[in-house]
Amino acid sequence: MQRVMLVVAAFVLAIGGGAARAADDVVIGVLYPMTGPNAQVGNDAKAAMETAADIINGSHNIPMLLGKGGGLDKLGGAKVRLVFADHQGDPQKARAEAERLITQDKVVALIGSYQSATAATISQVADRYEVPYMSADNSSPSLNQRGLKWFFRTSPHDVMFTQAMFDFFRDIGAKTGRKVKSVVLFHEDTIFGTDSSNAQKQFAEAAGIKVAADIRYRGNSPSLSAEVQQIKAANADVIMPSSYTSDAILLMRGLHDVGYTPKAIMAQSAGFAEQALIDAAGPLVEGVMSRSAFALDATKARPAIPQVNALYKARNNKDLNDNTGREITAMIVLADAINRAGSTEPEKLHAALVATDIPGDQTIMPWKGVKFDSTGQNVAATPVIQQIKDGKYRTIYPFDVAVQEPEWNVGK
Amino acid sequence: MTATVILQVAVGGLLMGLIYALVAAGLSLIFGLMDVVNFAHGELLMLAMYATFVVWLATGLDPLLLLVPVALLLFALGVAIYHLLMARALSVRFNRGMVQIFVTFGLAILLRGAAQFTFGSDFQSIGTSLLAGHTLNLGGVFVPLPQLAAGIVSLLAFGALFVIGRTEFGRALEATREDREAVALIGIDRDRIFALGWGLGAAAVGIAGVMLAIFYYVSPNVGANFALIAYVTVALGGFGSLFGALVAGLLIGLVEAMTALLIEPSLKQVGMFAIYLAVLMFRPRGLFGTM
Repeated sequence: MQRVMLVVAAFVLAIGGGAARAADDVVIGVLYPMTGPNAQVGNDAKAAMETAADIINGSHNIPMLLGKGGGLDKLGGAKVRLVFADHQGDPQKARAEAERLITQDKVVALIGSYQSATAATISQVADRYEVPYMSADNSSPSLNQRGLKWFFRTSPHDVMFTQAMFDFFRDIGAKTGRKVKSVVLFHEDTIFGTDSSNAQKQFAEAAGIKVAADIRYRGNSPSLSAEVQQIKAANADVIMPSSYTSDAILLMRGLHDVGYTPKAIMAQSAGFAEQALIDAAGPLVEGVMSRSAFALDATKARPAIPQVNALYKARNNKDLNDNTGREITAMIVLADAINRAGSTEPEKLHAALVATDIPGDQTIMPWKGVKFDSTGQNVAATPVIQQIKDGKYRTIYPFDVAVQEPEWNVGK
Repeated sequence: MTATVILQVAVGGLLMGLIYALVAAGLSLIFGLMDVVNFAHGELLMLAMYATFVVWLATGLDPLLLLVPVALLLFALGVAIYHLLMARALSVRFNRGMVQIFVTFGLAILLRGAAQFTFGSDFQSIGTSLLAGHTLNLGGVFVPLPQLAAGIVSLLAFGALFVIGRTEFGRALEATREDREAVALIGIDRDRIFALGWGLGAAAVGIAGVMLAIFYYVSPNVGANFALIAYVTVALGGFGSLFGALVAGLLIGLVEAMTALLIEPSLKQVGMFAIYLAVLMFRPRGLFGTM
């Protein structure tokens, strides 16, 4: 008898437990390199995604989209639940993990994934299963040119970023009279570096700037001393690296080792956004410029930044950077689309994503806003150029949003 | 391309080659002794680098002062790995070689995971040291002091290993390598020799780790960058040959740098493997291999 009672009690509890939940969680699959050479970026991304979920689910009342918290109101206050997967930076593992998240964890959308090479496989899987892939921080311009219906990207891509770099070169040249005449391209040999350097070559040609050397190197090599020597020999006005963190560290130290002080460095973010580089290279990175989708110092125009940064910092003991800023934004935009769809049904979710039209001041980004074109690319994402001063990136371009004057040594 | 550029790249390649050689020396020693490829070798390098970093962080001591303590620490670790894992793997009856390989492979994954769990996945680096950031300018060819010091320390370590090879212990090592069953008959404790071999091999990679930590970044994955090159170095120089490891390390450093300069940087590993395959075709036991 006692046993029967127990079974009945368990049964009642199980049913009651189910009924007590206001709404089912919305499950989102998050793919990042949590181990391997870029584990640091992946673990920072995890903290950023958790911060975004905390903003959506909690009650922090931040002046931004979904900032009042309390879950997704159009789904009965449903909470966002994240399932993380580690792709180790390997496109094949990324493909397998994406498939597992969709078929076994039944996620309603995927988000990720840092290296563009992994996004290429993840977005293919997503398209096949008709599940949205939200690209948070993959910057390769070819990703949205493959006719994938379920690919969406909030951040600018490297053609947009590179455009900003060359606009800056033009404007600073006009302002100071000291123009960029030559550049050295220095890029890793996967899709990120290749696409980035191709864009840079085209813009350089269009602007009449000479590409003094185009150095394609293998990522995570034990040494970059020979590559660095080629940069020195080319002695161009600006070095333009597209590098992940470990290579960025070796590059900056290597330049110093061969007694070379570059006139200017304009980085395609990635490793250059990371505090680890600034810590490792210290004074050597002073004056380094990088494109960025995010500006931590744009607090006047984007009042949500301090609160979001504080939430992230409490979790990960770091300030937001170009990568983590984009990750939080992409998650909020995705969650907002799910909310507007009022459903996790794929076609409704897709329609909501297509209809996205978020003004910039509803985000933490210095963008005009978020609005996807037919390829899934956000066309209202407007990048900035930043420069390291006293160990921190500060916005120097466009001039109207700059917080400090650029330090410009070209032509001096 | 000027002669200075070529000379500069050659110097950089050779200095890196000395590091490759020292990492490979430890691997070669263990292999020569026990016929076991230690797949956790890169992780021993990583641990030595973290040990250096952690002590520097806590005390501010110059990494150069940590050479001997870290080498001793790694020696102890090597002996412990032998007694706790390898000796047991040796006692299995079937597929002994495979068991040993899997044990070191498992150890590698465990150590890498443990490092990420303990130290996090951030790239760390030693901010201050006597040598850091200093560079010698020899008529337009720049020689960074940390790399130069690492090269000199590597040569000294090789010197020490050669001297050890000439002692009674060294001869016992050699004898155990040639016939591990017969040495018991003449009163050599095989277990002890194996353990000391592991200790020495780990100490060599420990020394490389301290010198690398001065100018390289430290991360749970850092060993993997060097391990692959170490395996090629050992195979190229000849399994079990210390002198072979030295020559092969220098050769690989030079070929890698020259491929990057003259052909294409993204192909530099191809240059390295091309040399290895070429040597393998004509001399399968490696340049100085006796086995």
